[in-house]
Amino acid sequence: MENLIKELKEEIIKTLNLEEVRPEDIDENAPLFGEGLGLDSIDALELIVLMEKNYGIKLQDPNQGKEIFKSIVTMAEYVQKNRTK
Amino acid sequence: MNIYIKSCAQISVQEPLCDKWFTEPIKHEAPYVRALDPDYKPFINPVAARRMGLILKRAMATSITALKEAGIEMPDAIVTATGLGCIENTEKFLKALSEQGENCLQPTFFINSTHNTIGSYIAVQMKCHGYNNTHVHRGISFESALLDAFVKIKLEKLNNALVGAHDEMTPDYFTLLNRVGFWNGGFAGETAVSMVLAKEGDIRIAGVEILYMPEKQKLIDAVNGLCAENNIGVNDIDLLVTGRNNDDDNNKAYNEFEDLFNLRDKSESYKNIFGESFTASAYGIYYAYECLKKGINPKGKNVKNVLIYNHYENKDHSLILLTC
Repeated sequence: MENLIKELKEEIIKTLNLEEVRPEDIDENAPLFGEGLGLDSIDALELIVLMEKNYGIKLQDPNQGKEIFKSIVTMAEYVQKNRTK
Repeated sequence: MNIYIKSCAQISVQEPLCDKWFTEPIKHEAPYVRALDPDYKPFINPVAARRMGLILKRAMATSITALKEAGIEMPDAIVTATGLGCIENTEKFLKALSEQGENCLQPTFFINSTHNTIGSYIAVQMKCHGYNNTHVHRGISFESALLDAFVKIKLEKLNNALVGAHDEMTPDYFTLLNRVGFWNGGFAGETAVSMVLAKEGDIRIAGVEILYMPEKQKLIDAVNGLCAENNIGVNDIDLLVTGRNNDDDNNKAYNEFEDLFNLRDKSESYKNIFGESFTASAYGIYYAYECLKKGINPKGKNVKNVLIYNHYENKDHSLILLTC
């Protein structure tokens, strides 16, 4: 799990081009949207693409996203349970 | 109604956002040179910057600099010229499409890949709801944008306008254009020029003419017409700025033009300083603007009237007369 959290942090920084953020700056329990990293709706689309591309997870229900993308930890838990690659 | 260039800012293969090139130009030997970028932090907040490609960052930085220099907080209009638009993001998007099929495409590259992304981004960042238009006409894009803003101010539909010319060059696109001989006689550069047009100022745009495949007589009539409108003769032109490079085919039209109006001794070029791109001609007007602003004529003593003459593939020709 720890490795996956680290990997997700690195992928998010790379995909969302968070130039000045380092993995250790991201609190894995902090909200990704609004507060915390302050991501927005375009970032949400980027994260959906990231989940499919890297882990083979297709998110069909938009409401599901709210729970999954709550924090890095919730993302990692979902990935661990549902990944196909 | 007189229309003036109130300010002008550039990011190019020369030192960015300053006029150091005027006295100490950086000489480039390589066939492909990318622009020298300044620190963008003072111009764009990091949250917005992370989605912006270089072309957008450069457009923002030159726009903000030009507006600040002009003392205008919010322009009435944003008129943009580009030959290729956000080609870097377009390439990233197409590459992903080719490698991953139509699945898993990143939205940011797609959103920021159109030609009018540049003008739109400037408007969104500045919260400018005025007239916003983008001209994409290859080598005549900049002149078309300038004419658009010029006419709108002349018709009193606008008080001022932010006019920009923006192009980036990627390694892949450089290679493609190289194959069709686009860079013959010049080095590839990138364009980021922003200028503010207004109803008052020191450097007046005395006329803009765009001609398609003009015959000799049409060029003579156009130049004479521009001069007559401003009560000057061709002899009163102190400096001619052309898009001359090292390509004999390209220079043929400039040689003929200089001989036609006996302006060879007064002719100066700018592409040896700023490089070639679809919107490089914006550097021609910028070069002329700086000469007039500084009162320095590289080809003579005084400078009051400067004619800028460019052509693209000997089809689209443009004449811009600046005076102070």
